[in-house]
Amino acid sequence: MVEEKGENEVGAQRASGWSAPTGRRTDEWSECLVHIGKSHDRAAFTRFFRHFAPLIKAFALAGSSLSASHADELVQEVMLKVWQKADGFNPEKAAASTWIYTIARNCRTDMFRRLQKFDTQLAAEDLSIEVEGEEPFAVLHNRRGSDRVRDLMGQLPPDQAQILAKVYMEGKSHSEAAAELDLPLGTVKSRVRLAIQKLQVQMDRQ
Amino acid sequence: MAMANHHPSNDFLMEYAAGTLPVAQAACISAHLNYCDRCRRVYDQMQNIGGVMLERLEPVPVSEAVLDAVLGRLDEPEPLHHPQAKAAVELPALLRRIINGDFSQLVWKRITKSLSISYLSTGDSDYEFALYRIAAGGRIPEHQHAGTEMTLVLEGGFSDSNGHYHAGDFIYRVADEKHAPVALDGEDCICLAVLDAPLRFTGWNYRWLNPFLQLRAS
Repeated sequence: MVEEKGENEVGAQRASGWSAPTGRRTDEWSECLVHIGKSHDRAAFTRFFRHFAPLIKAFALAGSSLSASHADELVQEVMLKVWQKADGFNPEKAAASTWIYTIARNCRTDMFRRLQKFDTQLAAEDLSIEVEGEEPFAVLHNRRGSDRVRDLMGQLPPDQAQILAKVYMEGKSHSEAAAELDLPLGTVKSRVRLAIQKLQVQMDRQ
Repeated sequence: MAMANHHPSNDFLMEYAAGTLPVAQAACISAHLNYCDRCRRVYDQMQNIGGVMLERLEPVPVSEAVLDAVLGRLDEPEPLHHPQAKAAVELPALLRRIINGDFSQLVWKRITKSLSISYLSTGDSDYEFALYRIAAGGRIPEHQHAGTEMTLVLEGGFSDSNGHYHAGDFIYRVADEKHAPVALDGEDCICLAVLDAPLRFTGWNYRWLNPFLQLRAS
């Protein structure tokens, strides 16, 4: 307990030099999402759609795993979920892009399973965890994490970025990525490890 | 505060964040996250990677017809959904759903004096998803695994030659590792185990049980 308190204070000091006076994210898509959740504003939703739908479609087509019509269907499903869940979006907990990535990932997983007639009563959303009531330090840590990853992503060597793209955008397991790139699994895992280090995903900051 | 001392590897947390794990393994990782603040933070950061990569994709044009279709559906009633898992040190909501209740609803199959197994269904036909109950102080005869095994301690605890494990601890073993877990005294130990091949007792006096341990994946 004592240690945690100490870390909280460190976090608070760092925050004062970094975050907006309100303590909230100021990026426009997070604000837009909050507004959609509060006001059910169709014009704001349309703006959000025009920005994110082409990215969701690119995500759907990554690795050419879905047909164009299934990709459009996925865009529809994801965007409807955005409308329905926007009031649960908390800009202090996550970046808008992370939030929508999670929705897109779950919808795509469910679509794959439907197309493969994989019969499970568990939707991908049931398998992901929504964490409530996190202490301020963890929330702040995560919010900073997204900005840090954004800053560092462009500096990743191409061979590491390529593996992350296979895993996150194409939905390939590490062994599938290894097979497709004709690399030993150990090489894939070590590139993943290096990428995680470069992106400063931090493990033991308790 | 939820605590665990044994955690899934970063590889598992990344594959879970990217949605590439098989259903049964994802359910086990999800259950561990219920107990473990550390891994939830790592998972949050792993998800951030996905969000940033999504932002950086080359956009693919979407026709106005798709936007119109979505706008036309905004007033549809929301589909019913199950409340999402909330972090708490109790039986993870996901497991309550899979069990369809709590432990009292389970059907246990007695394997040895100290070991009972309850087989559950996740719809994943490649992985057995089962609860193991070891009586307080009881031992599971030495066994090895033909494949991989994820274990998550849900209640009580156990020890083997590698260490002591308590509620929330996650252990991953690969093929051919042998062990003989002993439940801690005072309380039955209940674990979730996710296997892709049946375990095999190695001692001569228990080998006759092996045919009863066919993989029950469903």
